[in-house]
Amino acid sequence: MNDEPVFIGSGELPSGRYPNRPFMGDLVRVAVAAVADAGLTMPDIDTILLIPCLHSPADQADLVFSRVVEELGLAGRAKSSYMVHSGGSTSDNTIRDAAGLITSGHARNVLVLQAEKWGSAPVKDMIDMLTANGIPREWEKASGLSFNAVGALITRRYMHASGSTPADMASVCVALRQWASHNPNAMYRDKELTVEQVLASKMITDPIRALECPMLADGACALVLTSEGNARRLGRERWVRIAGSGGCVSHYSIGQERDLAVLGWANAAVEAYETAGWGPEDADLAEIYDSYAAVLTSGLEGLGLAPKGEAARMFAAGEFSPGGRFPVNTNGGLLSAGHTGVGGGTALLTEGVRQLLGRAGRDRQVEGAARAVCGGSGGTYMDAQVLLLEGVSA
Amino acid sequence: MTGTIEATGMHALTGPFHEALRRGELVVQHCKACDRNIMYPRHLCPFCYADDLDFVAAPTTGVLHSFAVHRVGSPTGFEDDLPYAVGVVQLPGDVQLLARLWPDADGGWDAYTCDAEIVFRPADAAETERRPVAWFGLPD
Repeated sequence: MNDEPVFIGSGELPSGRYPNRPFMGDLVRVAVAAVADAGLTMPDIDTILLIPCLHSPADQADLVFSRVVEELGLAGRAKSSYMVHSGGSTSDNTIRDAAGLITSGHARNVLVLQAEKWGSAPVKDMIDMLTANGIPREWEKASGLSFNAVGALITRRYMHASGSTPADMASVCVALRQWASHNPNAMYRDKELTVEQVLASKMITDPIRALECPMLADGACALVLTSEGNARRLGRERWVRIAGSGGCVSHYSIGQERDLAVLGWANAAVEAYETAGWGPEDADLAEIYDSYAAVLTSGLEGLGLAPKGEAARMFAAGEFSPGGRFPVNTNGGLLSAGHTGVGGGTALLTEGVRQLLGRAGRDRQVEGAARAVCGGSGGTYMDAQVLLLEGVSA
Repeated sequence: MTGTIEATGMHALTGPFHEALRRGELVVQHCKACDRNIMYPRHLCPFCYADDLDFVAAPTTGVLHSFAVHRVGSPTGFEDDLPYAVGVVQLPGDVQLLARLWPDADGGWDAYTCDAEIVFRPADAAETERRPVAWFGLPD
């Protein structure tokens, strides 16, 4: 299929606290890096899809109103520039949008761009902002629900349903930290973590401890998509196709989720695997949203990558760590690469694409990686969005 | 500041729920057209899209699906409440809501477990006026 949408390049800046890196500067730098990685030049880009930032409404408005087009010298050339937003699942929805623009003939080369300044923003403001968004003002705000409590509600239910211990849950964070040690862009690339350290850290929102909370970070990612025909004409040696896609929006309010240990993953998985024509047993790696350990374990189980109730214990046994049976969140995930807001999901997706292109670097490249299961979730884990990706060689 | 755009017209949904809480009662929305209970209250019935909606007394015994205890850190304005617990309560009639949980006999929340029975125990009128939220506790 010649007009099939494919990924041909990516870019990423290091995640962490970088107060001297301006927001728009990060966006244009990561854009230039990704376009070069794709073997294109900037004027080849005719459509820009923006992943929202959450640190500033004014900066987000700049994304909506095409500031990036001017900054990249594409005024008068770009056909479309707009923002897509579903919180942590935005990147999955954006890729579907990019794919549709390419197959419909509107876009030839799409640049997907993301930057966030959460690591440099005042933490208290960001926590209040999270409390004000995605938590119903009329029904739940008066309870004092915090975002960590949303994670804690999911975690406690998951632990109850699966019989996972605090040490099992802590081992998820430890495995992600091991992966982060191989990722030069990860916030915690050079800080070791043990289960004992996690369990000794302060209880924040019971049952979640301080070292189980994601750390807010600055970061930036970009992806370039084009048609398969164009990838061939460009002489690309390898690209990544979207083999399957599925989604499930299971709630808006956390108080309305019917099963906090399950969420929407299993529903989303059915359609995704059906369209791909392959199953979880055929996957080489997974990159699944992990702002709290239980979000990731419920994802792995719902997507068929671990038996129900077993994912946390499998982390404890090292099955998902570097050198383990099945690589999961090879960039270190949100928990150790850094929680770059909506961008945490983008970073996981970027890592999945990079792995399938064979460009994840010597230390963490999964050998022969051909199939990746990618999953994102937004708001109070309102949805499960799944993309099944395949690497293709010319 | 009253009458913000966000708040306009919401009183028809929030008012009856909040007024019941102040009376020490728990109500849920009910669709007279399809005879189903609805939570949280909606502008139209999410099952049959009728607008023939009212509020009915809710069962006061439910099941605790999950809970979280804020120990360190809270949204602004809740600092003096620490520590405090919130839980997702599932009620008969297929409705559920987020609630505050009273401390147990030991002053903590260790006596609570997922899937155990819990009971609606309203806060006093002053607290409910300040923060319109349903409170649940352990059965006697």
